Amino acid sequence: MNNGTVVRLSDVHKTYRTGEMEVHAVRGVSLEIQRGEFVALMGASGSGKSTLMNILGCLDRPTAGRYVLDESDVSALNRDQLADIRNNKIGFVFQNFNLLPRTSARENVELPLLYGRRGLTNAQLREKADAVLASVGLEGREDHHPSQLSGGQQQRVAIARALINGPEVVLADEPTGNLDSRTSIEIMGIFQQLNERGITIIMVTHEQDIAAYARRNVMMRDGLILNDHSVSQRFDAAAELEKLARSTNES
Amino acid sequence: MRVGSTFNIAFRALRRNKLRSVLTALGIIIGVAAVIAMVGIGNGAKAQVEAQIASLGQNIILVFSGSTTSSGIRTGWGGAGTLKIEDAEAIRREVSGVTAVSEEVVSTTQVAAGNQNWFTRIYGESADYLDIRQWPLADGSPFTPQDVRSANKVCVIGRTTATQIYGNDDPIGQVLRVKNVPFTITGVLTPKGLSAQGVDQDDIVIMPYTSAMKRVAGGTTLRNINVQVGDANQMNAAQKQIIDLLRQRHNIRPGRDDDFTVRSQQEIADAATATTNVMTGLLGAIAGVSLVVGGIGIMNIMLVSVTERTREIGTRMAVGAHGRDILTQFLIEAISLSSVGGVLGIIIGIAAAKTIAITRHWPALISPGSIVIAFLVSAAVGIFFGFYPARKAAALDPIEALRYE
Repeated sequence: MNNGTVVRLSDVHKTYRTGEMEVHAVRGVSLEIQRGEFVALMGASGSGKSTLMNILGCLDRPTAGRYVLDESDVSALNRDQLADIRNNKIGFVFQNFNLLPRTSARENVELPLLYGRRGLTNAQLREKADAVLASVGLEGREDHHPSQLSGGQQQRVAIARALINGPEVVLADEPTGNLDSRTSIEIMGIFQQLNERGITIIMVTHEQDIAAYARRNVMMRDGLILNDHSVSQRFDAAAELEKLARSTNES
Repeated sequence: MRVGSTFNIAFRALRRNKLRSVLTALGIIIGVAAVIAMVGIGNGAKAQVEAQIASLGQNIILVFSGSTTSSGIRTGWGGAGTLKIEDAEAIRREVSGVTAVSEEVVSTTQVAAGNQNWFTRIYGESADYLDIRQWPLADGSPFTPQDVRSANKVCVIGRTTATQIYGNDDPIGQVLRVKNVPFTITGVLTPKGLSAQGVDQDDIVIMPYTSAMKRVAGGTTLRNINVQVGDANQMNAAQKQIIDLLRQRHNIRPGRDDDFTVRSQQEIADAATATTNVMTGLLGAIAGVSLVVGGIGIMNIMLVSVTERTREIGTRMAVGAHGRDILTQFLIEAISLSSVGGVLGIIIGIAAAKTIAITRHWPALISPGSIVIAFLVSAAVGIFFGFYPARKAAALDPIEALRYE
């Protein structure tokens, strides 16, 4: 595993101004995440975890503080520069999947490549997309549209899309929020496999038993980090699935 | 490659909404088709009117009896019988550059032969008339100057009159009774078809004006005098000489209105062309309105599309699309819709114009220029009406867009 610091937040603040009111969503967060970590970012709604996630994902800029991603300072980049960072270094997985409707799984996965300046031919796009889809267990479903796929399968397509550019970090925002418990465990299984392969994952969740699949939990409250600890009793997705199957058989 | 993949993205997006894309393009299709068909028909009508007026003959000056305003009273051309045979003789004798003159009287009456009869127009003319009108005979021979001098009972007839009275028989040498006066038919004219006003020009009997005045119409005055000038450069001079000559002959004092009207063929052609230009412009303008409506349709759909696809736009931005990529995508979508609509509209417009031309016997003239302009206008409509929605899409905040429900 290739070690090094991928994410370094130093005293990051984010203040929103809505009319007269100033909302301090993030109030001085410092955080380091090493390459190959699997971090769950936790907290109740209003704790600032979503704002922090937007900053980590380069969708938003901090009002104050520094954010160094993969050794480059991204806290003061403009819109287009941030878009390029997102394209090259970040893969997003959303709660509601955010796949393009009436578009095949393959074309959804190709999307980030279309915005990259890589000059790939259509055949190369297709080859890359099919390979990534196969790696998340969707071989043979390349031509299916989102409406023809189950929730779990749609989330796998979204994961494949996040992986296609070989990102430094995969950011998952409540990735199991719209999935049943069995499918949630399957998706966690995929994340654990990806993490075994050395991919850095940051996941926002408010569910304790989902956070337990990560290696490290960061708890937020009122715009600050409340505690930050490694997970002692880590869940293993394969074992949990087996347990679930056994209990279903018994009942 | 960046531009190439933006095209790729835009076409994928259009393909996802096939029905909507087709319906949106339909507005432009109808607009462009209407413009092409209307302007084609207008130009066809113009060409036909011009051809009709050219068929009056080359370098013609028409002198009408009476004036459009005479002592404050407005009369129609040929309304007052002020032109005499002697006036025509004087023009023939004294105006320089004149190569041919035809005295004209016109009446309508019943003609009959055997057990057939027919209501038609009788034109009394000089022997030069068919040369002036460049109207050859299909068969037989014309009447001669001698026939005119002697007021002989001879005539030539048009194709329609011939068919109505004689059917398939050869009318040459047959006797045609005009107001019970027997006229011998010496020739049949080549068909000319409908005039610009929709009059059948072949429904006609032409005879020496002397015969017409003595034996058919009665009276001693001419409706008009057709004057042909040898050289186009002499037209203005000849026109002025004719006016001076007739004022002198009619004893019109300076300052008083003419009791005749002189028009050159060119003036009539200009007036008719101006009329058809107005018609073409009007048709084109009405059709142009539908093109604008089509453009607004595109804008409407693109705005709906931007709102409906807010999450999609957010997703695209999250995976690395610049604002410019989104702008270009939506602009290409709009331009694709409008220019594909333009091409289809051109095809349908040409087909519609041709169909109208065939079924309504109305000419259609579609110039390559109008096709090019129609295409460019439809593409411009796409840019113009697509820009605002595209800019709106590009300005979206990715976080807001991703959260949009």
